Amino acid sequence: MKIVILGAGQVGASLVEHLASEANDITVVDTDRERLVLLQDRYDLRTVVGDAATPAVLDAAGTGDADLLVAATRSDPANLVACKLAHSRFNVPRRVARLRSADFFADPGLFAPEHFAVTEALCPEQEVTDTIVRLVEFPRALQVLEFGAGRLTLVGVRAYEGGLLVGHPIREMRRHLPPDIDARIAALYRRDRPLMPDGDTRIEVGDEVFFIAPTEHLPAVLRELRREEQPVRQVVVAGAGNIGARVAAALQGRCRVTVVEASRQRAEEVADRLDDALVLCGGASDEDVLEQANIAEADLFLALTNDDEDNILAASLAKRLGSRRVLALINRRVYADMVQGGPIDIALSPAEVSAGAFLAHVRQGDVVQVHRLRRGAAEALELVVHGDARTSKVVGRRIADLDLPEGVSVAALVRNMEIPEVLVETEDEVETRFGQVIMAHHDTVVQAGDHVILFCTRKELVPKVVRLFQVAFGFL
Amino acid sequence: MELIAKLLPLENVVLDLEATSKKRVFEQAGILFENRNGIARATVFDSLFAREKLGSTGLGQGVAIPHGRIKGLKEAVGAFLRLAAPVPFDAPDGKPVSLVFVLLVPEQATEQHLQILSELAQRFSDRGFREQLASGGDATILRDLFIHGAPHAPDQHRAAV
Repeated sequence: MKIVILGAGQVGASLVEHLASEANDITVVDTDRERLVLLQDRYDLRTVVGDAATPAVLDAAGTGDADLLVAATRSDPANLVACKLAHSRFNVPRRVARLRSADFFADPGLFAPEHFAVTEALCPEQEVTDTIVRLVEFPRALQVLEFGAGRLTLVGVRAYEGGLLVGHPIREMRRHLPPDIDARIAALYRRDRPLMPDGDTRIEVGDEVFFIAPTEHLPAVLRELRREEQPVRQVVVAGAGNIGARVAAALQGRCRVTVVEASRQRAEEVADRLDDALVLCGGASDEDVLEQANIAEADLFLALTNDDEDNILAASLAKRLGSRRVLALINRRVYADMVQGGPIDIALSPAEVSAGAFLAHVRQGDVVQVHRLRRGAAEALELVVHGDARTSKVVGRRIADLDLPEGVSVAALVRNMEIPEVLVETEDEVETRFGQVIMAHHDTVVQAGDHVILFCTRKELVPKVVRLFQVAFGFL
Repeated sequence: MELIAKLLPLENVVLDLEATSKKRVFEQAGILFENRNGIARATVFDSLFAREKLGSTGLGQGVAIPHGRIKGLKEAVGAFLRLAAPVPFDAPDGKPVSLVFVLLVPEQATEQHLQILSELAQRFSDRGFREQLASGGDATILRDLFIHGAPHAPDQHRAAV
């Protein structure tokens, strides 16, 4: 595919990293020549220096030949103008925009072809916020990811001393679960190395285990497999920037939230908007301020400033001062890899979280969902199956017979996604859900229309998997 | 053959089309079908791209048969575009493409349409046929090739079908 990426920031660079290896022809546009040089040193791509929201620069970037435009500059207006130009002037069939401001999402009509002409609008800050909020719902989880329009949830946890499964073969998990509840271990990492688990694999202390289960069963599954967890009641948020303020707003109803913000002006602004949160002005790595925020009683400390070092320092300090768990936003991957598992329980990379959302829309094939796991080393994918036995390499085959590369496994399927099932029907409300969840079994036969959730232990395997699911030439 | 003769009018055979990318080829195809067959160019473009997203219609050996379903279309219609210079097409062999047969079918595609598709693929699998398409001098000659097959090997495809 020919792809034009506008903006060589975190989102742009992380997309390049993934797409450059997948036989794509990529051009990156940015106003900052140095950023472009850095990218060009590492990847095979073309670069154009200039303002991405102008016809001349888009033209120079070869937008007229592009199958896909990703507008990921720092400026919302520039991204919108670029999408509009890409549509009306360059006729680019797919246009993905990154937008920071939530305002634009309130009226989806704004994205229609006659308006801003954005085929897919994504908000990285919102993705990161949602990720953090889900982690609060599942204390102790390292990652919580949804598939099949929310029907399935994948959770990464670390096996601990005394855990029900530790020291036992995986097949025994079944014994701990009620008969109507099914769950799978989709992947297992031991000392940072992927293991392909089978029924005989024994889980060890420190293993990183990824479970997948129907979302409604997940609390029961985790309850069965882990010691009783205390829910998160007190949260301290450090940094009231774009992400910090969103997270505080999303959490303030369900737990006690204290926000720590260094800038007085920003602290006052945020305090006005948050009705149920306490906002303190002060540095996040200041012991006195953290004690004032009652850090010793906190169930969770979230370091969400835009500075990696500050976040690492603040989170480490918060842990020492007694916060039960701490999370730090860390942009630089080397830092993230270095600190997770030390005093910092979860190192979350905003670029990794949002790159997944972008990747789902930029890959060839019918990709619904891409979640990056383990800070980008692995991926979980949701793909839609098309074709028939003649034109597809997966339709009509048993999962065991799929030609999947080593290191890739099918975790689950959702069938009949378009058929609603009525759960509750009363006079004034009808509650429905879509699709039928099928946990993967080696005998399960794949059908057209299935949403298949796959786990790739190495991201390099993803293009192969996507290709396997593509239809052959004869599909009409 | 009859099938192909019916869906490929002479004016839908274009030689040495200037196009720099797959996307431009689809645009040109849209314009052609709009002018000749009255199908809106955007409809053609979107349909071809939607199909392409599910998997490349590149056959390998420099050939592609992009196809799509068109709402409201009564009968299948095709166009053959020989490109002035090959363009990347995400084909299975990774080779760029210069021989492009675009096929549009009604939304309710039938067995017959699948047959057309496989017949086309069969034809293009013959090296002599591809070479003649690449070197043929005018649209009439190329159209005849599609209808009567490669003159030096008249029975070849019949035997294959």
